[in-house]
Amino acid sequence: MSDTDFQSVITPPPADQLVLETRNLNFYYGSNQSLFGVSMPVKRNGITALIGPSGCGKSTLLRTMNRIYDLYPGQRAEGEILVDGENILGPKVDVTALRARVGMVFQKPTPFPMSIYDNVAFGVKLYHKKSKSQMDEVVEKALRRAALWDEVKDKLQKSGLSLSGGQQQRLCVARGIAVEPEILLLDEPASALDPISTAKLEDTLEELKRDLTIIIVTHNLQQAARLSDYTGFMYLGKMVEYGPTEELFVKPKVERTSDYIGGRFG
Amino acid sequence: MSLQSARHPDPVDPIFRGLAFAAATTLLLTLGGLIVALMIGGWPAISKFGFGFLTSSTWNPVTEVYGAAGPIVGTLITAVLSLAIALPIAVCVSVFLTQYCPKAIAQPVSTAIELLAGIPSIVYGMWGLFVFAPWFARTVQLPILTSLDPESFWGKLLAGVPNGANIFTASIVLAIMILPYMSAVFRELFRSIPPQVREAAFGLGCTSYEVVGSVLIPYVKKGMIGVVMLGFGRALGETMAVTFIIGNSHRFPDSLFASGSTLASTIANEFNEASGVHLASLIALGLVLFLITFTVLAIARALLSSQRY
Repeated sequence: MSDTDFQSVITPPPADQLVLETRNLNFYYGSNQSLFGVSMPVKRNGITALIGPSGCGKSTLLRTMNRIYDLYPGQRAEGEILVDGENILGPKVDVTALRARVGMVFQKPTPFPMSIYDNVAFGVKLYHKKSKSQMDEVVEKALRRAALWDEVKDKLQKSGLSLSGGQQQRLCVARGIAVEPEILLLDEPASALDPISTAKLEDTLEELKRDLTIIIVTHNLQQAARLSDYTGFMYLGKMVEYGPTEELFVKPKVERTSDYIGGRFG
Repeated sequence: MSLQSARHPDPVDPIFRGLAFAAATTLLLTLGGLIVALMIGGWPAISKFGFGFLTSSTWNPVTEVYGAAGPIVGTLITAVLSLAIALPIAVCVSVFLTQYCPKAIAQPVSTAIELLAGIPSIVYGMWGLFVFAPWFARTVQLPILTSLDPESFWGKLLAGVPNGANIFTASIVLAIMILPYMSAVFRELFRSIPPQVREAAFGLGCTSYEVVGSVLIPYVKKGMIGVVMLGFGRALGETMAVTFIIGNSHRFPDSLFASGSTLASTIANEFNEASGVHLASLIALGLVLFLITFTVLAIARALLSSQRY
């Protein structure tokens, strides 16, 4: 078996529960291809994790799902990504509207230079005109869902940048969910956080998954095993194995997956 | 053996510390000496005219009566006007270079901007006097002069001898001079923003305009205030180019197209032939310019510390 030609085993969720599905997705940074025919069916509500060694393409895959790669000329995707059945790679897709449906939280916290309140209200203001009291409700709800409300309710007018790293990251989650997306993409959201903040963030995600689809890229295998319902293991730009988290971790079908999970490479 | 003794005492360290201290002290002493020298040199004028030196607009070497109101106002108007012209353009240039422009073009354009910033001010002055001022007089000033009622508001605002040497053209030349500097530093500020912040804003579904206006500019607001104030400081003190083109009249500027003077241009123009109270008055002008610049810096400091984010 050569390094670029190996089997790919996909165990999809029930067909009527899909919210997002990539089909035969290729991705290019200029002339460098970094994703090779990735197919990944994502179950609605719940958490889907992407694992794999550095440079395997898991972040790249995540970044196709809200087309954030569009910001960089020279990056392009081929294939299909269906969100609720609609191919978002199509030419007529309104990218701005797509990003309201598919939110994103990054590795490093990215609070905007404004108050905590305004950080959360920022995205909502782009889409809806709301009265002060309505906005207050939206902000409180988002902060509660992100498990940050109790820590910031007395200092909503303080700068978002004044919070600790873990709080900033949950603020970014609150900002992301305030616009009520269907899907929230998280790119190694805990890698810059201490263990306690990480635990809080994970609790938050557990809460959110009831009515939100979460796709999370993580280096941390335990985190993937703890949190997710489905897991995809990627290697060299390909989806090696994808299926229910328990199956993938307990009895992986591909040898390379068990090698990675068992710590024999990666 | 303790760790302390394992490391020899570094003989360079005290020397370096002394050098650093000496450098900082020298700077402070120079500043203090400058202020004292300006005060002593300007004292004859200050004691003779008192506070009226600042408020009177009579500047008459024949009768030996000197008032700085004309140059003071001229300095402030040209600096504010040039900043008002240069600031929006500099923001647009730097936003374009960092957000929209293809990389292949951004680099040569950036280099060109840096080159512009390096052109000596006398070159701008000559260009202003020999090229820009005549053009401005012909194509802008004359048509306006002939078409406006001289008694109307606009007629009064834009009145003046149509020779192109006036406060407005001086402000434009000043704007062109501070534009490259401001654009270059703004560009660096925008480049310092982590890409994730931009992605996060786009990730919420912002349009480019919203990302730039609501997230990126606030992100570098502090730095921008600093740059604006430095640009303002440069516009206040710029001498040669302004001396060439402002018309050098000491009366109180009563219209945009009237010739005027600035503190620096007056000093540059008259220093050669001045003596006695005239010379003292010029030195006092220098003191005033110093105080204005100092005030601008103080305001910048206050603005910066009042920014919460």
